[in-house]
Amino acid sequence: MTTLEQLSEAVGAGKAKDAKALTQRALDEGARPGDIVDKALVPAMAEVGERFKRNEIFVPEMLIAARAMKEAMNLLEPHLVAAGITPKYTAVIGTVQGDLHDIGKNLVVVMWKGANFRVVDLGTNVPPAKFVSAIQEHRPQLVGLSALLTTTMPAMVETVRIIRTSGCPPVKVMVGGAPITQQFANEIGADGYAADAGSAVDKARALVGAA
Amino acid sequence: MNRQFYLDLAAAGLRMPIGTHLILHGHADPQTIALDGRRLGAVVLETAERFGTPLAFPLMDLTLEKTALLLACGVPEAEVDAHHFTVAPPVPERILLTPRMRASCEAIAHVATRPDVVPIGMAIGPFSLTTKLMADPITPVYLAGMGLSAGEDPEVALLERLLSLSELIVHRYLRAQIEAGARAVIICEPAANLVYLSPKQLSTNPALFERIVMEPMQRITRMLAASGVDLIFHDCGELTTDMVRRFATLGAAILSFGSSRRLWEDAALVPKDTILYGNLPTKRFCASELTPGEVERLAQELVEKMQTAGHPFILGSECDVLSVPGKETEILGKVDAFMRCAYYV
Repeated sequence: MTTLEQLSEAVGAGKAKDAKALTQRALDEGARPGDIVDKALVPAMAEVGERFKRNEIFVPEMLIAARAMKEAMNLLEPHLVAAGITPKYTAVIGTVQGDLHDIGKNLVVVMWKGANFRVVDLGTNVPPAKFVSAIQEHRPQLVGLSALLTTTMPAMVETVRIIRTSGCPPVKVMVGGAPITQQFANEIGADGYAADAGSAVDKARALVGAA
Repeated sequence: MNRQFYLDLAAAGLRMPIGTHLILHGHADPQTIALDGRRLGAVVLETAERFGTPLAFPLMDLTLEKTALLLACGVPEAEVDAHHFTVAPPVPERILLTPRMRASCEAIAHVATRPDVVPIGMAIGPFSLTTKLMADPITPVYLAGMGLSAGEDPEVALLERLLSLSELIVHRYLRAQIEAGARAVIICEPAANLVYLSPKQLSTNPALFERIVMEPMQRITRMLAASGVDLIFHDCGELTTDMVRRFATLGAAILSFGSSRRLWEDAALVPKDTILYGNLPTKRFCASELTPGEVERLAQELVEKMQTAGHPFILGSECDVLSVPGKETEILGKVDAFMRCAYYV
């Protein structure tokens, strides 16, 4: 098994220390940082997402895998920056105003990062103006809005409305969260809806034209 | 209280939502009422009367204990909502009840003046409270499940300290509600689910679930039993069958689960003197595609399946039914739709 294959396996299994050591070994062996991301880390997280969708693993295993990937990325990032390599796609994400829940949103962040998106995480209780300002600053291809509470769904409606009417650069809007449905997404003018973090990757890639 | 009381309610075909939030927000000044014990108590009674039940459920608010604990730990009030601990705080010298908690206790005392209703208290479960105190509670839970101890990993150490503080504040608040006259309490433990606890990991290490969910609950159960107060256990999270099996051992008068569970199948796991309550998908009541007619059909189907299962059952909501601005009438209409089911059976 090659070092990159071992690294991929270590990330999938959530072995953070092994992932760090194998990343260093891959660099020492002369692997290009971009190849380590594209050939080991991204496939590892894609497999994690697929296993999640098949109910073979659960949220904790996803987070542990992401933790291992983060260890690898901490080593790689200086090399990637030095080589001028940046993710092709940027996404802004946040939980809408009035809602303090972040578990679901954090999982989507993990999976989008795993798919090599640059993710700007605005956190929870995010007012519409903050989304607009982040869109203007970061020029993302995608914005993700999360809500856990039925009581904060109206804030999602308002956020989409303000993004659409604010005159900020065109951006795809994707929504999700426990009470959200495809029909609700359609009603409020969102471009996409994902029922869980695993399918959020597929939907995001489709929306930005990467699929 | 006599367990037969609850069994008689089930046998009589009681149907009811946990609907205090819905009724409270029909008033012009819900925030003011929530801080006024007597008025809050009146709303709790109004809710019980509106839905024809002697079970006076309180306003379900899972933020109260976190607020009280953080204030006791010296966190400024303005930072409470977003605060997460990154290092283990010392045990506070004393934990004061917040104005909202005091109002809830006064509401219980107000309800207790009525002999025809059961004043019910409420608290978040210790594990669920713990998850609200950490930015990422899932990773340390998983690490603990891998066998890492507090001495080996700082995240596990933080988890364990916060769990013990959570238990402290929950017991403190429960005692206050019991002193105010609560004859039953609903413990809400929605984070004890397969998002926070991996079924894959629990299959090889079930001791983790026992240690961080069941043992704190068992200590609460003993405290309630010593006070003659009944337990209503609520967990609307997504559960495994093993989790349901374990919750069934708590000796609850009522078990309340989310709509992901098939209660007619869970009936086989639950003692015959424990009522199953629920579990219509009320979190989706604000969605227009779920029509009142569909709610009525789901309710009818659930009632029929529970009758076939032969288990004591109260038809109701999967959680408290929240009032959503602009959707109040639609949501109430769907609650009324399942309440009508009572007359068909």
